[in-house]
Amino acid sequence: MDLEQTVVAAETLLKPFAVGAPSREASRLDVVIRRADLPAAVKALVDARWGYLAAITGLDHPWPKPKPGAKPAEPPAEPVGPVEDRLEALYQFVNGALVATLRVSVTYHDARVPSICSIIPSATLYERELYEMFGIIVEGTPDTGRLLLPDDWPDNTYPLRKSFKGLNSAV
Amino acid sequence: MDTQQEPRKTFVVPIGPQHPALKEPGHFEITVDGEIVTAATVRLGYVHRGIEKGVEQQNWTQAMYMLERICGICSHVHATAYALGVEALAGVQAPPRAQAIRVLVAELERVHSHLLWLGVAAHEGGFDTLFMYSWRDREMIMDVLEGLTGNRVNYSCNVLGGVKFDVDDTHADAIRRAIDFLEPRTHHYLKVVTTDETLIGRTRNVGTMTSLEAETLGTVGPTARASGVPRDIRVDAPYAAYPDFPVKTITATAGDLEAKFVVRIQELFESYRVIREILDKLPAGDLAVRMKPRIPPGETVSRVEAPRGELFYFLKSAGGLNPDRVKVRTPSLCNWGSVLATAPGHKLADVPMLIAGIDPCFSCNDRLVTVRRRSTAETWTWAKLRQYGIEYYR
Amino acid sequence: MNIELPPLVALLFFPGGLFLLSAGTVYEWADRKLVARFQNRIGPRWFQPVADVVKLLAKEEIVPDGVNPVLFHGLPVVALVGTLTAALYVPMAGMAPSYSFTGDLIVTLYLLSLMTLSMGLAGANTLDRFSLIGATRALTQLFSYEAPFLMALLGPAIAAGSWQISHVDAYAQGHWWMVLTQPVGFLVALVGLMGKLELPPFDSPEAETEIVAGPMTEYSGRGWALFRIGRDVELLVGLTLMAAFYLGGLANPIEFVLKTGGLLLVTAALQSLFCRLRIDQTVGMWWRIGILLALAQLFLLAFMR
Repeated sequence: MDLEQTVVAAETLLKPFAVGAPSREASRLDVVIRRADLPAAVKALVDARWGYLAAITGLDHPWPKPKPGAKPAEPPAEPVGPVEDRLEALYQFVNGALVATLRVSVTYHDARVPSICSIIPSATLYERELYEMFGIIVEGTPDTGRLLLPDDWPDNTYPLRKSFKGLNSAV
Repeated sequence: MDTQQEPRKTFVVPIGPQHPALKEPGHFEITVDGEIVTAATVRLGYVHRGIEKGVEQQNWTQAMYMLERICGICSHVHATAYALGVEALAGVQAPPRAQAIRVLVAELERVHSHLLWLGVAAHEGGFDTLFMYSWRDREMIMDVLEGLTGNRVNYSCNVLGGVKFDVDDTHADAIRRAIDFLEPRTHHYLKVVTTDETLIGRTRNVGTMTSLEAETLGTVGPTARASGVPRDIRVDAPYAAYPDFPVKTITATAGDLEAKFVVRIQELFESYRVIREILDKLPAGDLAVRMKPRIPPGETVSRVEAPRGELFYFLKSAGGLNPDRVKVRTPSLCNWGSVLATAPGHKLADVPMLIAGIDPCFSCNDRLVTVRRRSTAETWTWAKLRQYGIEYYR
Repeated sequence: MNIELPPLVALLFFPGGLFLLSAGTVYEWADRKLVARFQNRIGPRWFQPVADVVKLLAKEEIVPDGVNPVLFHGLPVVALVGTLTAALYVPMAGMAPSYSFTGDLIVTLYLLSLMTLSMGLAGANTLDRFSLIGATRALTQLFSYEAPFLMALLGPAIAAGSWQISHVDAYAQGHWWMVLTQPVGFLVALVGLMGKLELPPFDSPEAETEIVAGPMTEYSGRGWALFRIGRDVELLVGLTLMAAFYLGGLANPIEFVLKTGGLLLVTAALQSLFCRLRIDQTVGMWWRIGILLALAQLFLLAFMR
């Protein structure tokens, strides 16, 4: 199957879930989806045996720093814009040369996504990593014990968030 | 004692964090019923060094050297994946000669890694003779790499935009000699793993994974290929110089440990062929192009076939001097699921070989956070540390 | 050779006691060196086994929680004593056995088994999980090779018409080497000896990649040193017994060195040739093949006589 066919197949499968138009680069297809649609979108890919889950990447988009001299802007109570002040989870599926990414955004105060372990059992390791590093709670993942961080790591401290500057300041 | 009434106690055999079967720290809890394994769980993170967070504080060039130190066996692929990703973000293409040298070193690294694995897997099965011989032969490759790059492990071959050193005729001859020596040896090892009765007794029909299971568990690399799933980034999405020097995907159908041996050994032949071809047709030209220290904002995914399977890098630049996010997903992490899923039902004696079967690399798995013990931690100066040592041993 | 030595000398210096201990370490070194050379390694220097023992004796012995201390300290002694005693009934160093009586073959074999039994008990005595699994495996293995090994050694005894080691030795010296007339028995006995000594490929009771050191995991210092010496002596006694029975007897020290050395070469080669057998494979091999071969040999001998 060549690249274009793969892209078309993925686009057809993900179309019902996409928010806005998917963005496309040479070997990448990024589809923004709603959190609630995640299991259904993953299931569509898995049922069609379209590639495999390569990684779940967490991203932290903090509220941008104020320009020097400007008055620091208070983050609004309700998050605005698709990018800033959010945590994002990227579910990267790979088929041949194409990487299809399902992008799910969550806010800091409601950082939770549904688990996809019932569809892809091996995703649990990625999901646990996502939780430990970014504090995105994965609802329904089978095991929530510590995977990578030490046992005495403080709770509610997520090292890959941009706000984390070392344990001494975080505690 | 009435055993009928008692709830059956589980007998858990801990393997790790420190255990002779593991060359690196990891922790498995193997629940056994007599000799039969009934469940297996894993706990990672003992060699967590905080590299993903660490690179966010480095500039783009420094980050590469840090990432190269994620793994001591396949260091080159990490640097290559990163360099290719950064070049893609910057819209720069490394010169053809540089790409060919990257592939050359990558294949040499694959040879050394597969020979290392052969020895480790044989050792897990108690076949120390094969272990000793394959590691002796591996030294040839280590010597070649040392002659080529100056280092046995972290070659530091890449720079952003190209490579650091050239391959001249002396190097080429040394590599050819090593390959000429290794090829008949590899044929011999292939014969050993497919005909030695005791080894076959430990590997045939052990840890069998069907191609459907391998696909759904998301395995990559030789682990997947041994089950007949043709996943190889060098073929699926050729990078660097692989479009010019194509490789053949080696697969087997059995999916057991023996197939994993066979696939890895046959990949060695493919690597030998590619190495010879590159040495014969090394493109002329520059070694590197210049790159600016600031990388334009953007996101990219860079995938490279490491000896253990697909290495997945996600890079995000905010347009600054240092990376905004570097996500590393190493092949070992994908393959853990296959061990945990296949172990139940096997004998305890098979578990070390099953674990070794995916060629795990714990350092690759564990990479994220710098751990400072509680808030009482203090930073010691070198002088203070030295003083402490002197007083301790007085 | 038959020299009358005062009993105390025979017990403490030669061919028992000191001689056994030092010869045992020499044989351990030879074994390790040979395996190392077969595996393309350099191997240890000649004094390494002695150095190991001295170092272990000097180390602190840690008694883990939850063990019976009497058993913990006593079992290594029992194991060593068993093998040292066994040495008195075999033509050690080509000399006539120091003590000899009808049926001493059976006694010797059981004294040799004390070693494995002690190790099994020592493993079961501790709470360590590796030890427990190792002990189970050691005892399972004991029950699998013991019967074929015994039957394989009975072959020469039946041929000689006596269950007294010195008689079988004398008979062997006067006849064809029994490795030629009873090759099957020789093979079973040799492999049985390797199983007894837990040498690779029969080292699953102490497979380091699975269960660390098996029954010996919790032992350190003195206890471990005694077990090691015990095993060295057992190697020596086993080789002597094999050479006396199957390789045309042991008439003098030179024959002793040559024949046991030759046997050691063969066992070392076998050790480096194979992959470790799983415990179920070991048991299966002995009960499906080993015992049948040994039985066939016995019937044939009984029929021929």
